[in-house]
Amino acid sequence: MTAANGHRTNLLELRGIRAAYDGINVLHGVDLAVPEATVVAVLGPNGAGKTTMLRVAAGLHPASAGDVLVAGHRVNGCRPDELARRGLCLIPEGRGIFPNLTVRENLWMMSHSRRSLAEIEESAYERFSRLRQRHNQMAGTLSGGEQQMLAMARGLATDPALLILDELSMGLAPIIVEDLYQLVAQVAQSGVSILVVEQFARIVMDVADQAAVMVQGRVVQVGPPAELEDSLSQAYLGG
Amino acid sequence: MADQHGRVEEFKEEIAEMGLRDPAAARDRTLLRLGWALMGGGVGVGIFAYFLSHGTTNPLTQRDALVVALIGLTLAVIGAALFTRYSVAQFLRFWLARLSWEQQAQTDRVVAALSGQGPEQHREDPAGAEALTPH
Repeated sequence: MTAANGHRTNLLELRGIRAAYDGINVLHGVDLAVPEATVVAVLGPNGAGKTTMLRVAAGLHPASAGDVLVAGHRVNGCRPDELARRGLCLIPEGRGIFPNLTVRENLWMMSHSRRSLAEIEESAYERFSRLRQRHNQMAGTLSGGEQQMLAMARGLATDPALLILDELSMGLAPIIVEDLYQLVAQVAQSGVSILVVEQFARIVMDVADQAAVMVQGRVVQVGPPAELEDSLSQAYLGG
Repeated sequence: MADQHGRVEEFKEEIAEMGLRDPAAARDRTLLRLGWALMGGGVGVGIFAYFLSHGTTNPLTQRDALVVALIGLTLAVIGAALFTRYSVAQFLRFWLARLSWEQQAQTDRVVAALSGQGPEQHREDPAGAEALTPH
């Protein structure tokens, strides 16, 4: 999707990341890199630790060991809002919008970034015309697809350098998922680095430059999407 | 693409300029424990001062015991302040997350009731499909 990798610096790099919930280890030494202007897809079965890995990368969950490097700098323990202000944007599983605020108010919440509300609204409504029609509607009353559009619009409003997407397709009809991934492809073409976790392997493979297979808290293989078919079958089906 | 390259360079510079500190969560936990320790230590110093003043008839030593007791009190107050600050912060973080989750769940229930569908069916509504017109 993007140009072939030369010697691009890694915008995000995880080195030997371990993480736990209440003493129970979930990540057992994850190594993963997201080079500049590259889309990296992380695939794997439920419970593999994909969401936890994204939370560690975004600063929302502490790593018990290992290093999180952003643009080559160790950011372990950095506050997530500090990273977000500088351009690391996570769109979480379940969208992370404010259901009791209107569409416009949700966009307004993002005006802490370097852009004004007018600019944010203009770019959001240009990308998602449906949001313009719904701008005074409570976000919680939007359809699933529209809520995901709003989440994407909010994320892109921060002018991210690195976009992290967690299960974009969750609870959505396949036709909507396909359209959302068309948008992701266009964002990637503009040069934004993207790390995406997704259960719909087929769709995300079309967008990704690199894919990683994650099983039981470890990244077991990384490579071009076409080369990971076998690993994926084993990861999802066992054997 | 050129604009985005500039954005990436800006991102790298801003990350480089960040005053990176040690893990905040670990620091919070340490300060919470320090608060406990200071409270306990302050009370201990106060008790020690009480016995110090009762164990002597020398007014100078008793005055010293007064000073020691005041130091103990100060330590206990500082400890209580630290403990309150960091335990309340933990509770409020949890409370905020809980509130957000409950609002989401409540809205889903209301929407499902209004539309006569289950929450999952409502979320799978493909109504927004044609509206996805990425440029």
